[in-house]
Amino acid sequence: MADLLELIDISKTFDVRSGGRRATLSAVDHVSLTVRPGTTLGIVGESGCGKSTLARVIVGLHLADDGELVFDGKQMLTGKRRTPGELKQMQMVFQDPSSALNPRATISESIAFPLQVQGASKSVIAERVATVMRDVGLPAAYASRYPHQLSGGQRQRVNIARALALQPKLVVLDEAVSALDKSIQAQVLNLLSDLQDEYGLTYVFISHDLNVVRYLSDDVAVMYLGQVVEQGSAQQLYDEPKHPYTQLLLSSVPTLDPAESTRDEPVDTADSTEIPSPIDPPSGCRFRTRCPFATDLCAQVVPVPIQVGEGRTVACHLYTTP
Amino acid sequence: MTEAVVPTLLDKSFGAGTTAADRDEAARRRDEWNAARTSEQPQSFWQATLRRFATNKVGVVAAGIVLLLVLGAIFAPLLTSADPLIGKPLDRLQNVGSPGHLLGTDEQGRDMLARVLYGGRLSLLAGFVPTIGAALIGTAIGVTSGIMRGAVGTVLMRTMDMLYAFPAILLAIAVGASLGPGLTNTIIAVTIVFVPPVARVAESATRRVVVQEFVEAARLSGASTLRVARTQVLPNVLNDVIVYASGLVGVAMIIAASLSFLGLGSAPPAPEWGYMLNSLRGMVSVAPLVAIVPGFFIFLTSVAFNLASDALREAMDSRL
Repeated sequence: MADLLELIDISKTFDVRSGGRRATLSAVDHVSLTVRPGTTLGIVGESGCGKSTLARVIVGLHLADDGELVFDGKQMLTGKRRTPGELKQMQMVFQDPSSALNPRATISESIAFPLQVQGASKSVIAERVATVMRDVGLPAAYASRYPHQLSGGQRQRVNIARALALQPKLVVLDEAVSALDKSIQAQVLNLLSDLQDEYGLTYVFISHDLNVVRYLSDDVAVMYLGQVVEQGSAQQLYDEPKHPYTQLLLSSVPTLDPAESTRDEPVDTADSTEIPSPIDPPSGCRFRTRCPFATDLCAQVVPVPIQVGEGRTVACHLYTTP
Repeated sequence: MTEAVVPTLLDKSFGAGTTAADRDEAARRRDEWNAARTSEQPQSFWQATLRRFATNKVGVVAAGIVLLLVLGAIFAPLLTSADPLIGKPLDRLQNVGSPGHLLGTDEQGRDMLARVLYGGRLSLLAGFVPTIGAALIGTAIGVTSGIMRGAVGTVLMRTMDMLYAFPAILLAIAVGASLGPGLTNTIIAVTIVFVPPVARVAESATRRVVVQEFVEAARLSGASTLRVARTQVLPNVLNDVIVYASGLVGVAMIIAASLSFLGLGSAPPAPEWGYMLNSLRGMVSVAPLVAIVPGFFIFLTSVAFNLASDALREAMDSRL
């Protein structure tokens, strides 16, 4: 089956001031990814690794400096503002449920706004709002309430409803459950999973929480300092991490099973917790400053992603040199 | 699956007790609950603000005083039969409380009550019109530069900063003097003085709002910048502007009164409070009580506006 979304060599930099000097922050660096229709691509990485920037480039909120984006067989602009018709095919669920809703708008006004912008008729809007509210499990009585009268979980349901109102093919979930309590997280994750089946949605699910990503994702990409270091099916990647960074990430996931505990055998070395700045990233492999296996080669040559199995790539010199 | 939502209305199945008494009790509580639920209407932001404002005693009293002053100015002809412009020189400088002249008479024998009431029209006009004008212009400038950033925003805001660098009263005197005396020119001068601070308030509120995710969500739906500004940004900037502007009314009246005091405001013999204060200045040793009447009203209005403004800020501020 053809891919629904294909990112080819996407790069995004920001001009920032650092200590009074102008500097360039490399937020996303030559990222290539594919998403199959009806599946979920999870993107994991520490905060500041460029996950959210990548999400905004995908949906068109940020313009990319370089690279191509193919969506549903059609080339989409990455360097120019998209038209409303292009924008509505991909929607996004935002991270912070309290800032993602206009405090002066009722729930139904918030959900109806994208439909109004897209020029839907009054009757269509009313029908769509009622449908998506039901589908995300919001009582109809909430339609005239304001965001401050709702709990965090309910607000996130409203966010999801607003994203679905335009019937997008792809939904980008940017840390969509990270701000919620654990118990509410589970409910929202189940809801997202149900909605994916009902609406035939494709998700790009971005999170720093490895357990949550594993629960929802078919494929997973691991990002480090703006680059994808490893990708593959969730099963393979979690069972047999290849890149040293993936191994480091997985070793730090808390587990309930003592037999699986990695507490006493950390991959991490003493000074490896400091993340280098994306303003002046390390030469060669960006992970080398924290990598226990780093060699001279890593400082000189940027590792390119190489195929190491079915749909599996890893960008590490450990796998390029025999 | 769904979050534990308390049902909005309870149906008959709630509280199926074993005894008749249990069931009756359950039915009573069910009706109570349902009655409370159906009467509970979600409140809009402004309804909630009004409700909280009503609980603030100082604010309500201050707002009441403002209302009385406004009504007094509007219905001045009904409240007094005396002419504010022509007086009897024989009756001049009657003391406060003298028969026929509740607030006394001024140096030309004109009834002070009539002059205060009619003068309130000019003074309140000079308080409200510049504030509303500056709020509109300042919000437009502030929201524009807050959204546009870049060169447009920088030029707009640095221009505002240049004006803001002048002390308010000095700028008002400079503008007023160059335009010449008269109420209209006073209003224009005070408006120009107030635009920069309002623009700064609006700009900082806009900067705070545009980085919020709901603005990004609106852009993602394909809305134009203008539409995002109007539907998403403006409603969230307005309450900051309203709170700030409500505090400016009192200041505007003082500046307008100062301009008339200096002879730059409304032309005599029109009874403007600042002008009245100036013309009675020389009589302070002869009729001290009468001489402080205009000053008292300037003070009262200004304080009432500021207290009402503070109460409004509190009513809007509390995070719901």
